[in-house]
Amino acid sequence: MKLKEVNRTAIQSWSPAQHHPVYLAAGTSAQQLDASFSTTASLEIFELDLAEPSLDMKLRGAYSSSHRYHKLAWGPHGMDAQGLPSGVLIAGGENGDVILYDPAKIIAGDSDVVIAQNVKHSGPVRALDVNSFQTNLVASGGNESEIYIWDLNNFGSPMTPGPKTQPLEDISCVAWNRQVQHILASASPSGRASIWDLRKNDLIIKVSDHSNRMHCSGLEWNPEVATQLVLASEDDRMPVIQMWDLRFSTSPLKVLENHTRGVLAIAWSVADPELLLSCGKDNRILCWNPNTAEVLYELPTSTQWCFDIQWCPRNPAVLSAAAFDGHISVYSIMGGSSQAVSQTQADTVGSQSFGNMDPFGMGQTLPPLQLPQAPAGHAALSPLKKPPKWLRRPVGASFAFGGKLVSLENTKLSPEQPQQPVARVVHISQVVTETAFLERSAQLQATLAAGGFADFCQKKIGAAQNEFEKTVWAFLKVNFENDARGKYLELLGYKKEELAAKSDSIGKPSLVCQEPAVPVDAEVVASLPEGPLDPAPAPEGIDLTVSQDVDGLITQALLTGNFEGAVELCLHDNRMADSIILAIAGGAELLKKTQQKYFTMTHSKITKLISAVVTEDWRDVLQTCELQNWKEALAAVMTYAHSEEFSSLCDLLGCRLEAAEDERLQTRASLCYICSGNVEKLVSCWTGAQDGHCPLSLQDLMEKVVVLRRAVDQSRASGPSAVGHLLGEKMSQYASLLASQGNLTTAIAYLPHDTEGLLLRLLHRVVVIGVFVCTMRSVCVLQVRSASTVTSWSNQTPTALPSAPPLGPAVTEPQVPTHWPSLWLWPHSHTSVSYSYPPASQYQADAGGPSIYSPLQYSAPPPPSFCSSPEAPAPGFMPQYTQQPLYPPPFTGQPASSAPLSQTPFSPASATSFSPLSSGASFQHGGPGSPASYMPPPPPAGSSGTRPETASHQVPASQRTGPHWLRPQNGWNDPPNLTRDSKKKKVPENYTPPAPITAPIFSPLGAGDPQAQQPHSMPPQAMAPDQTQIQTPYQGMQQQMAPPIFNPGLPKTRGGSVEGAPGAPIGEVIQSMQSIPAEKITKKPIPAEHLVLKNTFEGLIQKCLAAATDPQTKRKLDDAHKRLEALYDKLREQTLSPAIVGGLHNIVQCIDSRSYMESLNIHTHIVSSSNFSETSAFMPVLKVVLTQANKLGV
Amino acid sequence: MVSVINTVDTSHEDMIHDAQMDYYGTRLATCSSDRSVKIFDVKNGGQILVADLRGHEGPVWQVAWAHPMYGNILASCSYDRKVIIWKEENNSWEKMYEYTGHDSSVNSVCWGPYDFGLILACGSSDGAISLLTFSGDQQWEIKKINNAHTIGCNAVSWAPAVVPGSLIDQPSGQKPNYIKRFVSGGCDNLVKLWKEEDGQWKEDQKLEAHSDWVRDVGWAPSIGLPSSTIASCSQDGRVFIWTCDDPSGNTWTAKLLHKFSDVVWHVSWSITGNILAVSGGDNKVTLWKESADGQWACISDINKGQGAVSNEQ
Repeated sequence: MKLKEVNRTAIQSWSPAQHHPVYLAAGTSAQQLDASFSTTASLEIFELDLAEPSLDMKLRGAYSSSHRYHKLAWGPHGMDAQGLPSGVLIAGGENGDVILYDPAKIIAGDSDVVIAQNVKHSGPVRALDVNSFQTNLVASGGNESEIYIWDLNNFGSPMTPGPKTQPLEDISCVAWNRQVQHILASASPSGRASIWDLRKNDLIIKVSDHSNRMHCSGLEWNPEVATQLVLASEDDRMPVIQMWDLRFSTSPLKVLENHTRGVLAIAWSVADPELLLSCGKDNRILCWNPNTAEVLYELPTSTQWCFDIQWCPRNPAVLSAAAFDGHISVYSIMGGSSQAVSQTQADTVGSQSFGNMDPFGMGQTLPPLQLPQAPAGHAALSPLKKPPKWLRRPVGASFAFGGKLVSLENTKLSPEQPQQPVARVVHISQVVTETAFLERSAQLQATLAAGGFADFCQKKIGAAQNEFEKTVWAFLKVNFENDARGKYLELLGYKKEELAAKSDSIGKPSLVCQEPAVPVDAEVVASLPEGPLDPAPAPEGIDLTVSQDVDGLITQALLTGNFEGAVELCLHDNRMADSIILAIAGGAELLKKTQQKYFTMTHSKITKLISAVVTEDWRDVLQTCELQNWKEALAAVMTYAHSEEFSSLCDLLGCRLEAAEDERLQTRASLCYICSGNVEKLVSCWTGAQDGHCPLSLQDLMEKVVVLRRAVDQSRASGPSAVGHLLGEKMSQYASLLASQGNLTTAIAYLPHDTEGLLLRLLHRVVVIGVFVCTMRSVCVLQVRSASTVTSWSNQTPTALPSAPPLGPAVTEPQVPTHWPSLWLWPHSHTSVSYSYPPASQYQADAGGPSIYSPLQYSAPPPPSFCSSPEAPAPGFMPQYTQQPLYPPPFTGQPASSAPLSQTPFSPASATSFSPLSSGASFQHGGPGSPASYMPPPPPAGSSGTRPETASHQVPASQRTGPHWLRPQNGWNDPPNLTRDSKKKKVPENYTPPAPITAPIFSPLGAGDPQAQQPHSMPPQAMAPDQTQIQTPYQGMQQQMAPPIFNPGLPKTRGGSVEGAPGAPIGEVIQSMQSIPAEKITKKPIPAEHLVLKNTFEGLIQKCLAAATDPQTKRKLDDAHKRLEALYDKLREQTLSPAIVGGLHNIVQCIDSRSYMESLNIHTHIVSSSNFSETSAFMPVLKVVLTQANKLGV
Repeated sequence: MVSVINTVDTSHEDMIHDAQMDYYGTRLATCSSDRSVKIFDVKNGGQILVADLRGHEGPVWQVAWAHPMYGNILASCSYDRKVIIWKEENNSWEKMYEYTGHDSSVNSVCWGPYDFGLILACGSSDGAISLLTFSGDQQWEIKKINNAHTIGCNAVSWAPAVVPGSLIDQPSGQKPNYIKRFVSGGCDNLVKLWKEEDGQWKEDQKLEAHSDWVRDVGWAPSIGLPSSTIASCSQDGRVFIWTCDDPSGNTWTAKLLHKFSDVVWHVSWSITGNILAVSGGDNKVTLWKESADGQWACISDINKGQGAVSNEQ
């Protein structure tokens, strides 16, 4: 494809490769005349600007010369030294001159452009070449076998390469070897080439065939192989190019024959040694592969001879050809259509234009020399047959998901041994840039898995960089200790003992005993502003005259039993003590009144505090206290606040602190939030103060959040701990960071429910990866549960489902590509209520028990994960997504019976109504409302035939902890390595008993069993209105991504037990499911023969409870007590295999004989020999009990 | 730390030119001068040849995975002037579409963000860029930008889908009005930005800094900020990072990442957009990261897939 054109009959030279921009020098040729017969000459420099679509080349500089030229060569000499920014343009003149020009000066329009000039040759200088190794060396060739080597640094005295060859002949070409810098070749029209060694200063070899018809017009060294060169013959009788190898210099290695008339010039591409250009008197320009003698390309050229052709050294696809028709044309070797050019160049391209040009400024137009040039072909031109080397990208490292980097390895081939086999490999690497971050993340995960939060906090305290950090961790740590409030007080600087001691010295021991904080709190209160708040009634005094004797009146009143009047009188007389004492006698009401009056009348500094203590109204104090005294205020709250308002009071103080102008105070707010367990506030407070984008600071935050949430879970059976927007954001940031570092399994645990599209994408990606991690173990599952979910994802991406059998028609049909927008709703819209749900009828029909498969349950995310296989990597952090394609809804497997998706019984409306349940309630970690939301989906068994099989693949219940993405805080708690042992160990950790650890101080909010009390306190529908909009897409995704798992045991085991505590690794799903229909179903009695099991186990637990001293153990036992319900339920339903029941009876016998070790052995035997899914709900609990019993020796 | 977790022997008979993982990082597509495209299943450190796709008649330069929501689709481009779109149906890979609208080597293919639909940009040595949009029913709508880069377009890369003027998602139910943009680099040493307006592709920006062929361009994934970032690398050894903080997208500033001694062939952003992998001559791969003060620093030097990571933070 022609790129540019210059209307000159000129010889040419490209600027050197180092030079930018690319210039083309054109010097008036000594051998052609134009129509003016002018002998004036010029040297012009044009710029190749490919960004400019025009065919014209910009003239950058022109110099009117007295010489006409035979040869131009542009070397980079001097470019580095800045002396000659554009290098040196060397010209061979017709009179034997070798002239050095400074192209920079020509471009600048300078008149003094000649650097040096030397007339050494006796005739025209036809040959010039610049040494590519030492760019100051230039070889020139003229008549009479004259060859000179010019040193541009010492231009005056050229050298010769050796004695002149005999007979004397013209030198038509000189060329430096491209590999060996001291080797020079010269050729003459006679057909002989001579190779010179400058070190020896002699001719070393002559190359000539025996035809004697070679008429050398061109000589080029092979750019890569030092011993090879080509010679072109101008002779029409022998229009060939010979390729010689000096190692076999008797005859040419190859002869390139295609030109029909003599070859005028050749050019060998440095960029690709398999490209050799030649132009001939047959008007053709050919591009050869000299190694194969194949013509790769023929340029569409003019009808005129080209007498010179050159590759552009800088732009490997560009070449220029100078033709006798008065044009220098610049072509691209890459083919392509010139239509594009002609479109934009309609005025300048085309046969008409050329004739009207006046290239020489003569004021007259010239007719075309010959036929008008054919319009630059509209036909597409084929590119080179051989792809040029410069397109062959040898490297390329690309990132992939999960911080992976894919890189190529193409071992370089040496040209001499192309046959050597090469390993073409691709490396997939894991890029980890945040090592410290990952380490800390792993520590955190380990802590989550193993418990030991107090230790974790302690470590953090030790490692804390500053005092505040230390304090924060100390506060967090308190959550995991007994007497949290007391410890908080200590942290705030109030030690009871110290206070007592202080008070002693003051001499008011009694006061201290009752109100330990008061003396110190006085300081706080000192700063309390005098609030105008108390809406105290105006003293309505009894109408008494001053003159009357007060004592008398009081006496009178008392005598008449008028306490009120007496108190009034005392107050009036400012006898406070008297009035209070009287008021006490007068009854509670009067006392209260009196207190009120007292507070209105007294304006001491501590009144407010006393008032708060007495009236238990701390809100006022917190709202008005001086923020500098936040510590004291917090201490007061610690001491006095009722547990139900404790959190909100802490929050209140936190809010005030946060709003403070003092930055120090702002950060202190986080301490308040830690006390209150308000995670979201903590996050917002923290992010306000820190740069959350730095990975380590994000880790800092997440550590605190995780620990605090954990603490909240433990300490508060109820209470909102929803994943707020900010926390969600941070968690997703954290997750994506983890994912980017390749830690997908952990990342998944932190992916919260969120409606943001990007996050969902990440989630999806992580999930699918997770799938693959586990695929190998799940093939059997796959086979059972053919096909995939409803989603277009898995249906259309067999990648995600490599071994999934083809889908049934009913499912695939609506998922043809045109449907994808609707099938892939979640990233697009937040209202994907129309999401195609698996036909619910299927579930009902197949699984039986319609009451169970109510939409309500269906809305629950699918619980189980196949990752539960013990060796699965960190499965605890893999939410159910991991199983997504592997647990496709079975209805896909039976297309015949499955209704089309559009007819799914789940109307959008119903979907909306229940979908928020899972998402909304999902944040109720451990909350009473949660069991409903965690309810597993109905057994999806597509056909009854699959049920037994799915049952056999039933994953450990511990895995079915419900959707981790909904309840990340629970997901975190899951053991990373689900060996059974670890699960057993986890039991007490994971199950968070309702009793707050601060129970001794707190009033028993939610004490007992809050879950039992309010299992349905949060009807799903109630949440629908406000949740629907944002939650539904997520819901849709749950449906699509996490098809439900069938738990064969579930339908029958719906006990009334409601321990649906999320986070409990074992059997919670089952239990939570049980909790739903509890009201409708009455439990069957336990068969009499098995009643002994229950009695023994419960008795043992009671014994242990009696013997246990530390609260943690008690909690464990309490927990176990409840969770054994699962066992009793199974006994009621008689679903346990005889082997297990028999084993249990054996255990009971051992318990009776107090041989707990033996019972543990039996336990182990049962666990190892039974179906895990059958026993997972209670066996680990049982082990806890037995272990405790053994430990306590009851 | 950069450590090899899998080495796939592709058994290609000639130079490999590109290797790309799919969306999930579980499949690897490679292409070679041996005219073939291969797909490997590489999950769990394995390497199972899934497909050996034959159809090109010249070296295959690049492969690109479409977003999986459209199915398992791979595009390949070749010196043979063809773009082939392959699709996996029923566990076997078939040609979905073959595009022959270029007159010269097709050097680069890149799928647009899924938000834009199934749309493929192709850059060719004929200077043109083609945009193929799947319009359903096996139909592809073709738009061509002629003479986008004189003597050749070497690389194309899509801008992430960003709704103009707002980072907040559009109201639900309403199709977001995305502005489609991509960047290209070519033999005219230019980096050009293209924008679709009223269904027509128009040159939006022309970024000049390179002094030789632009070998590759990469538009960084969106990290939720309104700014845009593009990396470009060139035959001249330079890698530039172009940034635009201006919401209208008109003011781009170039920062020189580094000047290498050899041609730089390829740039690739990490999924999170904070690390740039630069592949230069002699198979030298380096990782670069922007420090807090906005300076780009080399954090790793990778050889045969291995390397240490220096963390200066």
